[in-house]
Order: sequence, then C-alpha cells, then structure tokens
Amino acid sequence: MSNSYNWPVLPASDSKVVTIVVDGVEAKVPEGTNLVEALKTIGIETPHFCYHPDLPVAGNCRQCMVETEGPRGMALAIACYTPVRAGMKVATDKSSENVRKARKAVMEFQLANHPLDCPICDKAGECTLQENYMAVDRQQSRMREEIGKRYKGSPDHRHLDSKGQDRGGKHVDLGPAVVLDEERCILCDRCVRFMRDVAGSEQLYIADRGDHSFISTFPGQPLDHEYDLNVTDVCPVGALTGKHFRFQQRVWLLSKTETIDPTDGLGANIVVEHHDGQAWRIMPRRNPEVNKSWIANSTRLAYRRLSEDRLTSGLFGRSEVPLAQAVSRLGELVRGARKVALVASGHLTVEDNAAILAWAQILGPRAEVFGGSWLWVGAPDGLARSGDPVPNRSGLELLGIPDSLDELRARVGEFEVLVVVGNDLWTANASKAATLEKIPERIALSSWSDATVQASDLAIGIRAWAEVRGTMVNVRGRIQLLNAAPILPSPDLEPAWQVLSTAGKLGWTSELDAFRFAQSRIPSLVGLTYRAIGPQGRILAGAES
Amino acid sequence: MSHCHTKVDQPHASEILPKLETPKVLSKVEELVRRYPVPKAALLPVLWIAQETLGWLPQEAIRWAAAKCKVSPVHAYGVSLFYTMYKKEPTGRFFVQICQNVSCHILGAEGIIAHAEETLGVSSHGGTTEDGLFTLLRVECLGACGNGPVLQINDDFATDAVDGELAMPEGVALTAERFDRIVAWCRKRASELPSEPARDALGGLFETHGHPGAVAASSEPQKQGYAPAPPALGLAATRTESGQVKLAWRAAPESSLLHLETRSGSKDFEVLATIPGKDKDWTGDLVAGTEIRIVAQSGDRRAKPSNVVKVEA
Amino acid sequence: MATLTVTQNFGKGAADLSVYKSLGGYSCLGPKLFDLSQFELIDLVTRSGLRGRGGAGFPTGMKWSFVPRNSPKPVYLVVNADEGEPGTFKDHVLMLEDPHRLIEGMIICGWALGVRSAYIYVRGEFLKAIETLNAALKQAYDAGLLGQNIQGSGYSLDIFVHRGAGAYICGEETALINSLEGYKGQPRLKPPFPAVSGAWASPTCVNNVETLMALPWILENGPAAYQALGTAKSGGTKVFSVSGDVKRPGVYEIPLGTPLLEFLNSPQWCQGVLGTLKGVIPGGSSAPVLTAEESAKANMDYESLASLKSMLGSGAVIAFNDTRSAVGMLASLTRFYAHESCGQCTPCREGTGFADRILKAVVRGEGRDGDLDTMLDLAANFSYTTICPLAIADAWPIENFIGKFRPEFDALLGSNAGHADPRVTSDFRPGAFW
Repeated sequence: MSNSYNWPVLPASDSKVVTIVVDGVEAKVPEGTNLVEALKTIGIETPHFCYHPDLPVAGNCRQCMVETEGPRGMALAIACYTPVRAGMKVATDKSSENVRKARKAVMEFQLANHPLDCPICDKAGECTLQENYMAVDRQQSRMREEIGKRYKGSPDHRHLDSKGQDRGGKHVDLGPAVVLDEERCILCDRCVRFMRDVAGSEQLYIADRGDHSFISTFPGQPLDHEYDLNVTDVCPVGALTGKHFRFQQRVWLLSKTETIDPTDGLGANIVVEHHDGQAWRIMPRRNPEVNKSWIANSTRLAYRRLSEDRLTSGLFGRSEVPLAQAVSRLGELVRGARKVALVASGHLTVEDNAAILAWAQILGPRAEVFGGSWLWVGAPDGLARSGDPVPNRSGLELLGIPDSLDELRARVGEFEVLVVVGNDLWTANASKAATLEKIPERIALSSWSDATVQASDLAIGIRAWAEVRGTMVNVRGRIQLLNAAPILPSPDLEPAWQVLSTAGKLGWTSELDAFRFAQSRIPSLVGLTYRAIGPQGRILAGAES
Repeated sequence: MSHCHTKVDQPHASEILPKLETPKVLSKVEELVRRYPVPKAALLPVLWIAQETLGWLPQEAIRWAAAKCKVSPVHAYGVSLFYTMYKKEPTGRFFVQICQNVSCHILGAEGIIAHAEETLGVSSHGGTTEDGLFTLLRVECLGACGNGPVLQINDDFATDAVDGELAMPEGVALTAERFDRIVAWCRKRASELPSEPARDALGGLFETHGHPGAVAASSEPQKQGYAPAPPALGLAATRTESGQVKLAWRAAPESSLLHLETRSGSKDFEVLATIPGKDKDWTGDLVAGTEIRIVAQSGDRRAKPSNVVKVEA
Repeated sequence: MATLTVTQNFGKGAADLSVYKSLGGYSCLGPKLFDLSQFELIDLVTRSGLRGRGGAGFPTGMKWSFVPRNSPKPVYLVVNADEGEPGTFKDHVLMLEDPHRLIEGMIICGWALGVRSAYIYVRGEFLKAIETLNAALKQAYDAGLLGQNIQGSGYSLDIFVHRGAGAYICGEETALINSLEGYKGQPRLKPPFPAVSGAWASPTCVNNVETLMALPWILENGPAAYQALGTAKSGGTKVFSVSGDVKRPGVYEIPLGTPLLEFLNSPQWCQGVLGTLKGVIPGGSSAPVLTAEESAKANMDYESLASLKSMLGSGAVIAFNDTRSAVGMLASLTRFYAHESCGQCTPCREGTGFADRILKAVVRGEGRDGDLDTMLDLAANFSYTTICPLAIADAWPIENFIGKFRPEFDALLGSNAGHADPRVTSDFRPGAFW
C-alpha cells in the first residue's frame, strides 16, 4: 500500500483512559488514538493541514510537530501519526522551543510558494493557512522578487502574468461543481484521499514531483461525483472551491444555523449559513454516528430552493389573500365538513405532524389522518444518504400515522375535505394524485407554489425546513434537532404546526407544546428535552440501529 | 522533457490502440502482470513498453496502461509525470542527455553543454533541432562519474565515437571535439538508416512462471521447512558466585524447545533438562568435567547439536 | 595486493555463466549453503560485520534478523540498484562486470529469509546493466540455479528485474518499495518498517547490490576472515567510486580503514590528485565535504569519517582541486536536490527549491547580506521536519560548503552593489512582488 494510509483510531466513549504527561503536567487521555485527537480531548489544539479524523493519515504537511520522549531524549514527531502510550511524555509549543521553531519552520515552507490571493479567495476567513500562520508564525516573509516563487499548476494551464512571471492555473474548471485554483494548493493530499478512500472513485491525483507537483484529474476528464463538493470542505485552502459559492459572500459575514438535511432519511447534519435574511450556502456538520463529515451535492445545494417559487401568502384558487384570512378559512372548512382527510408528511417535523394528530383528536370520527409518500426509495450509498428521500418517515411511524395514501385513494368518495400538509403528492405521482381530485374541497399547506398547490382550492404558505425549529427522526431511530434560520421570505409565514393550531384552536404558542403532545403519543420521547437531544441527536430507546 | 512546460498535441486513441494491442505487446504485458502479486505493480514496466512502441507516452497510452494494470487513469497519469524518463512529448531520434551534476560539473560539463547548444542550435532544456534529429537535455547524475563529463545518446553512454561505434572507453573523457565526433556519427547513422527499431525498453524480458498466485502465473509458493532446523549457537559456561554453572547461548526465536544434554566420561549424551525455546540461559549444578551441549527443536524437527562445552573446575 | 571480495572477477568476462563458474562461482550452491539453517546463516553474516553498502551502513545481519520467519505472508527481497547518489557508479560497474555474483548473493540472502520472489530494481538509465542482468538470469534459470526447487534443495527463488524511470528518491528503501508497487516513488512513514510490512504489506528486505555481492566470499571464506579485512568496527572491504580531479578515476575495492589520501595517491588505486587538493566529498554528494586538512586526517571507514562529522555513505569519493568553485559545486547540488524532491512533505518540497533559488540569485549577482544565513537557517529547518532524509542530504552540502568555503560565497555577495540594501528593492511598492 502506498504510504501508511491507515485510518486514524478515534477516541470512543468506551476508550480506555491512560495517563500521560503533557508539558510537565499529568493528563488523562484515551488510549490507542493519535496525539492530535488525544490533545484535543484535554483542550490543546495542534495546528495541522493534512490530518482529518475521517480520512486515512498521510503525515505529509509536517505541521503538527510535538516532542515525545524516546531512547535519546525528547525528539520531534508528528502528532497525527504518534499513538498514545501510557506514561509517554509529550511537549507541545507551550513548553518546548524546539516545537515552536519546528512549527514556524514548516509554516514558512507552506507559504513559500503560495500566491497572495487572500483578497480574491473564497476561503479567506476559514482558511487553515491563515489560522495556522496566526497561531504559530507571524513572521515576515524572506522571499524576494529576485528569488521568486514557484507557482504550482499543470503545464496545460501555465501562463505568464502581466509582470512576466510564470504562473500556474487560476480558476480552472475542474468539473460541473468544483473550481480549482492550482497555485493555492498545498499538496496535502486530502482531496485525493477523500475521492479514493471515502467516495470510492479515484478521480484526483497529485502528478509530477517536487515543488512542481500539482493536483489533477486525468486530462480532459472532469471531476464528477455525487459527493465531489466535499473536497472543497477538506481542502484546507482555497484551491478547491464550489462554483455555487464562488465570490458570493465573505464567510465572516455568515451566521450559522445548525439543522438537518431535508432531502434524505439519514438526516445528515448540516449548517445553513446565512446573512442578511438569505441563505448563502450549506456546510456539513460532523457527526460520527450519522454522516461523519460528508454531505451529498444535492444536500449541499438544497438551500437554493429556499428562495425559489415560495408561497408566501394564502391562495383562494388563483387569487392571493392574506395568510390570516386563509388560515381562518381553513378552520371553517374543516369544522364544517362531514368527513375530512388530513394527509401528514414525512417532510415535516414531528411537531408539525403532532399538530395534525391533535386536531384530528378534537375533530373525532369526522377526521382521519393518512400518511406516506409516493417518492421512489433508493438504496443507501454508505456515506450520507439512506436512499429514502423522506427525512422523517420514522417520525411518522412513531406517531402511529399509517402509510395509507393508496387506501385514501380507494376511499376518496367518503371525504368532503382534503387537507394536504407539506406533502407534494401531485409532483411525486400526478396520475395517482389525480384520483384525489374527486374530493370536492382540497386544501394544501406548502412552502412552495408546487403542483399540489396548483391542484388545490385553498393554499396556505408555511415556513420551509430551514426556517423551523423542531425534530425529525432518521432511518436509524435517531431524533435530531432542526433550528430556524432567520431567512423568511415573508415575516408572516408560520410553521405548519402553528397554522394548524390557529385553525384548529389548539392554543399552542411554541413548538414545545407540539413536542409535548408528541410525547403523549411516543413513549420513547418521554423525559426528553431539546437540550437533551443536543446537536448530535440521540438514539431513541427501542430503535434499531 | 522531464517536466514538460509546453502543451502537447495529443493523438486520438484510435491512432494509438492499434499499435499497442498487438500480440507482441500483449504477450509482454501478460508476462509482466504475471511477475507481481497485483497487476498494479506492472504499471512502470507497462508504461515502458508503451513508450518503446510509440516513441513517447501520449495520454491515451497512459490510459491504456492504466486499464492493463487495473488502476485508475489519473493514477497512471500522475505516476507517469513523476518519473523523468517517461517522455510527455516526442523527442528527436537522438536524445542527447548531458549530466550537469557536481562531479561532471567540475570536470567541465557546463562547457560541453554550451558547446552542444551552440553546435546543435537548441536549448539544453529539452530543445529539439528542426530536422528532428536531436533533442538536447541537461540531466542529473547518470551513475558513470568516473568518465565525466557524462553523456548519453538515447540509452547508450558515449564519450567518443570510435571505429564507427559509440563508446565510453576507460580514461576517455568527453571534450568538445569528441562531442562533435559523436554528433557526426549520429548524422551519418541517420542518413544510412532512415529509421531503426526501438531498443527493447525492458532489456530482454523473458518468460517466467511468475509470482505465485498472480494472474496467469504457474509458480508455487515457498515450501516451509526447506532449510534445516535452527540449532543453538555459541554455548558457553561460566561459574556463578555461589559455585553453580551458568550456561548461555543464542537460539533462534522459532525454537520451541531446548534440550540440555550432558555426558560424563565416555557415555552417550543424555537429556538433563528440557526448557522453553525462549530461554536465553540456565543455571544449575554440574560436576566439573561434564560435557554439555544443547539440541534445539522447532516444532517437531530437531536441529543439529550445538558446540560442546566442558565444565571447568 | 589487497584481498578482493567483490571485484575479483572484473575484466574476466564473468557475465557469462561458464566463465563465472570456472572462476569458482556458484560454489555456495551446495552443502555450504543448503546445510545451514536460516538462523545460522543470519548469525554468520552478523559475525562477519557486513554493513549495508548503499549508504546507510546498517548492519546487514541485524536487518535480516528483523524479518519474521513465521509470517503467513511471502517474504520479499528487493535489491536496491537505483544508484542515484551523485558521484556513485560502483553498482553500475558491478552489475556489468559480475552479475552472477549478485544472483548468487541473492540466493544466499533468499535462503536466509525464506524469499520466494525477489526483484532487482535498477534505475532506468542503466539499460545496458539491465540487459546484462537479464541475460545472466536467463542463463541461471536454464542451468537450474533459479526457479522451483533449486538443485533439489527444496528452496525456490525467482528473480525479476524491474526498471526504474528516473527518480533519485527511489533509492530510499520505502520509496523504492512504493515504486515497485506501481506508485510514485514517495517514501513511507515509519513505522511500520519494511522488515515487518514492506512490499504489498509483506515482510521485505531491501539490500544494496554490493552488500549482496559480498555474501558468496563471506560464505566461502568465513565471517572471521571477512571481519579481519577491515577495522574492528567496520569489517571487510568496500567498493568506492572515485571521480573528479584524480589521475585515474574509477571503481576500487579497498580494505576499510585505508587512509583517504593514501587511497587517492597510491599507484595501485587513484594514482594522485590533479592540481592542489582543495577538498574531498567522501561518501556521495550528501556526505559533508571535507577540506584538504580534514582529508589528511580521514580513514575510509564508518567511524573515522563520522568522527570528522562526515560519513562513508555510498562510498563515492569526489576530489576537487583549488581551481574548482565551491559555489558552483553547491549550486549544482541544490539544483539537484530541488529537482529530485518527491514533493510529498512540505519542508523538503518547498525548502529545497527555496534554498536553490536563493543560491541562484546569489550566483547571478543579486544576492544580499543575510541570504547565506537564510540558506543556512532553511537548511537547518528542513533537516528535522521531513519524512525522509533527502532534505538532510541537501542540508549537509549547504551547511558544509558555505561553512567551510565561506569567503567564496561572500565574494559573490560583494559583487552585487546593492548587497547591503534591506530586503525590499528601491522601487518597492505594496503589491509589486506578486
């Protein structure tokens, strides 16, 4: 095997704890893991570039130097490749001048041939080179014009700039989603390892050698993979960036809201990053139990839909009406009906669906709750998708809502009123949904002006997934938190549970009321709070893993 | 050449594959894949064959080699660029390489290189003459420093052209004059032989039974126990302070048991004790004049006896 | 006349099997080898004091003892014939003159370690040596000296030649193994060491050509005789490649411990220095250069050169006289190491090029005060932060050429009228640099 590309041993909750000495002080750390992880558990950050907890170890950046005691005294070693042994003595930059010198030395080498692109580079503000420079170096450059830099790049993209300098590739179109700025690459090899060892498709490689090495696909072949945008996350610098985000926003302006992937039942953990009331990008959140550090491209680009075709008001037929008016009409229609069908949705939170159940309870035998989806279910890809496009199917099952759309179609004649809550049936399967048009009064609650809204007599706009606070349960029985980003296209929009509470006179004022109702239907939720669920979610008791 | 900084026109796969997918080439590839436990290891030799066949390595040939060795195309591409001898663009018929490293440097390499640039009229960084005959390249140490400054024409070392042959005779160092003779030899050869077959890049590949378990290989793995069982070595005896005898020896890690055998007088050796193979010494009471030896055992095979030691008084 | 253990067949046409045999070759293929257990053979080689002849000088018997003899995986022997260290050409000549001795040595080593498949990794520039090796191998196979069940011993060995393609770094053992496996020749992190996990994650022994070629003589004459040829700590003889300003450059096998100046001046060897000796690089370009005074104190063995803060290395001796420029020599070396850096780890990849470009600026007459100290500082920095010793091999020439011949470098700095100006140029304006 080329190099010792071994997966790092990460600390686990049941790792044995051993005592080591760090900077002269005893510390208890997990055994078997590497020093970067071990020092992190006691609050010491080790600057690094090429190490990544979810990628095999390469050990080529040489930034994470620490000193450990060996047969000839304290010697420098890279922390990412040094396993913890009980009793070992470690010196970090806090106590060792050698470590400080070594880290500074490596930092100078990293910057030696790096272009000064910060003013035009998307990575500025979250760039590991900038961070590590501030942490370990802060020295003036010893480079001079006569000495010159050797910029990196493939021979195919080399060019002379306006000063006659030999420059490497700038904004090279690497593939449908990714842009490569070759000069910025620090050859850490993370993208190569990701594509080969995680995505399982070796499309990138470091070609040539020495300081004229460059990152490349096979000439003429684009980088194209459902997970290829993850290389822009693992890239510590701005060499690999996403086309969707290029020059869009400076990252320090972005605020972060932690939430869950709405497009798949695995519930990959994500962050919606927004500024000025608009979502600008989605980034993955690391969750070793769910999606590690990865998200699929379609998840990453899901923020775009938040500003397309939004339904921000009520609709009577084709005419816009204020939301409040539409909501009270909803209440009238439902209360006035002999029999009403309420269709729940696995695309909405547990709280939203709890509201449907709560209203049905008040309405008694006049109301029946149906659930399910006509979307096609694929297979898990082993990375960040389960293949099920419905994110909260497990939540519906726990709430006892049956998978019964076809039954509804069979009994269409019984109902006067149909309320479809956040479930775009007409797009999923128009011919099956057409049967439901036999129900005379059709009402849709939806975030978008979709086909279901077109097929309804009354439509009410609701908040979208990134704008609500609530919970969803993933395919493995893990309950996870969604948080609301302040990116509403209209201030009047409310979450589905709120609309239903108003229309059904439930009297709820926050999603916690909805959650409490859900607890009455789901025993394993009893005793849980949002805080207890936490940002990494929680496996519910009795759930299959 | 080694680090090509110009974009090169790439021939299409349809031009290249017919030249590579010939029985001769394919049988060589099969032999190479047979020699390694995994096909990936045949990559460097297969790239050599492609280069020998085509004269250089176009990208489609790299893709072909990748397929033959079951690696991704980009892996083969990156590997081929790492090594300087894989040509990323065509070279002249006579690839003139002159060493610029330290030993040749002090013996006048720069002077020869300057002379070469002037005579041939091309840059020493991979320039090719207009008639396509010569490509001139500065290279690093070629491993023939005793004859410095060192020059290679294609794969042959040369410091002179003597009796119609390129040669590197002992004690003959390259000079401007000798360089001119070499160039003249090349020109003469080109005019007499418009083309010649490529030199066998693998230096005489012959068919073998291959590596055990490899694709199309027929060799068998090593038989266990081909060598005799390991004996104990260097047996020595010393007296401890308490008057006992301490024995020390070197035994192989694979020894499972060690039989301490003693003999007094003319009797045969008899086992005194059997101890674990890992032991490195033994202390006990032994009468002066006793002879001791150790017979090591590995598994169920006994080794020949160690040296015999006689206990002193 | 000194005893020769490796080069005794030179000039006798020993590349041909019948000639080699008539000179006593392959005499080990019989009871002398087949009656030995693996343990005894390794013990024998250890007692001979044989050390790696490629440059590192690691005791061969000890290296062999690290290879497990009970591994379920196959054991590989990879011969390092990637002779790239500037100044070294002994393996080149050894393979051309006496390839069968190498094969015999490989069979002996293979017997000791249980090797079934062995590879000779020859650098790509040595095509004639590869042809010679392949021809010799074919003869050996045809004569039943290789292949399945050699001469009824129960031991089987296949030897394949693997042609390199131009990369000095492939001389490093783990880079060699990576190159053999079909990757770029980039060194690996250690541990694991090749003896435990090398080629294809299996136990692997990497030995130099000359090291293996010493084995037939050692087996024939016994370890004590070999040890006695050298010094107490450096047993045996060593083959040296001599080039530069000497009357008769070439490949010489001499007993370890021979004084350096005797070696250079003796009529039986290099026959004298041309001109006034200025300095000697004693062990390949990576070895710290010795001044003429230091050379007078040096003996050609591991300990003596180490005590002079240099090294025996690959045994490549480059002598140079006082008409040669130390600056030019160092410039050719910094250019070499920057060209050959594999690019895997940051300090070497960026640092070797950085140091080379600084020296280039100095040579061009654009050097400034502090440039030399910057070079020395960079060299110190990339000495202890890298994966493999290539960067150290660059650092030592930088430190020693500048350290021992400083006036020549300072003179070049002086040739720049603006050498005392601070870092920035006179038309400096922000953004002018990039």
